[in-house]
Amino acid sequence: MALGSTPAIACIGIIGQHDNPLHISLFPPHEDEELDMSFLLNSSLDIFDIRLRNKTVDQDLGLLHAVDERLATYGWLTNTGIKFIIAIDMMGRPPTETTPNPQARNLPPVLGLRDSELKPAFKAIQSAYIALLMNPFYTPEVRTPMQVMHATGKSAEITSKKFINEIQRIGKTWYPGITSI
Amino acid sequence: MLDKAKSGIWKSRVEKVNAELVTLTYGTIVAQLCADYENDYAQVNQQLEKMGYNIGVRLIEDFLAKTSTARCGNFRDTADMISKIGFKIFLNITPTVTNWTADNKSFSLLFDENPLADFVELPDDGRAQDELWFSNILCGVLRGALEMVQMSIEAHFVSDILRGNDTTEMRVTLLRMIEDELPPDDE
Repeated sequence: MALGSTPAIACIGIIGQHDNPLHISLFPPHEDEELDMSFLLNSSLDIFDIRLRNKTVDQDLGLLHAVDERLATYGWLTNTGIKFIIAIDMMGRPPTETTPNPQARNLPPVLGLRDSELKPAFKAIQSAYIALLMNPFYTPEVRTPMQVMHATGKSAEITSKKFINEIQRIGKTWYPGITSI
Repeated sequence: MLDKAKSGIWKSRVEKVNAELVTLTYGTIVAQLCADYENDYAQVNQQLEKMGYNIGVRLIEDFLAKTSTARCGNFRDTADMISKIGFKIFLNITPTVTNWTADNKSFSLLFDENPLADFVELPDDGRAQDELWFSNILCGVLRGALEMVQMSIEAHFVSDILRGNDTTEMRVTLLRMIEDELPPDDE
């Protein structure tokens, strides 16, 4: 494998109750692949549905699907129906990038990921999301699916800079084996 | 006197309330005020100050009963009392008293932490960052409380971490002592 060959986060998606995207963050080298990533997230949403139908599920859904040998998506579902999706690029970042955590560089190349390795990232995203909800000036959108379908005007995307920065930080800090972000 | 009050009886019976409850309640009030006044932040600041004043004139009674403190000797004592006991009892924080003027009539309270503003991110409309003093209720509380103990003061925030400043600083200035006035024509 080329590039960094330490798996890295390629994309983090926050999806609302009615499968409406609230926020999507992209990470290098995938910054320009917005369309591909939305497609990837969208296809992951179906797996949420399937998993929900099959059994009572834990918040951590683990591996949703591996698209090819490079990309895989992992999911987390809160009890209020908000979905966090992380897409992992098994080839990691271009080596030119300065890795924020030097430890990450010394890790041996990883071929597989255990589901639990993404738990710290999901926990951090959830904390960030809770902090966002606690902000009195942020109004979470409460709409029925019909309203979402026929909605015109502005979408419910998250605009909070604090939240977006935090998601960026999480995506850039995470590496396999990290215990807390 | 301060030490006596510090070790006072109030310590054993401080009532506790969930911090998030306070934060969210206050946050909701401010957000609602902003909505009601259609983001006229000057009005919102004024309303918060007024609400704080009404809280202060009542809260001082509770404060005095809990701490059973005597009259402060000078304004410096008052400042210490506010920071080390007042804020400690009601918000469990101890803002730093600093930046005294030479005449001892004006000081700053530096808030290292502000439970009212946890989680808060000011609206990104280009004005809130410059106009809204989110925690302005505290200014009113001080004004109300001190007025009941014969001190007329003026308090306002000069910086706030929420606005991107490095510190949260409130400036408190003693205007005058309110002398006990006899009712006119009281023979």
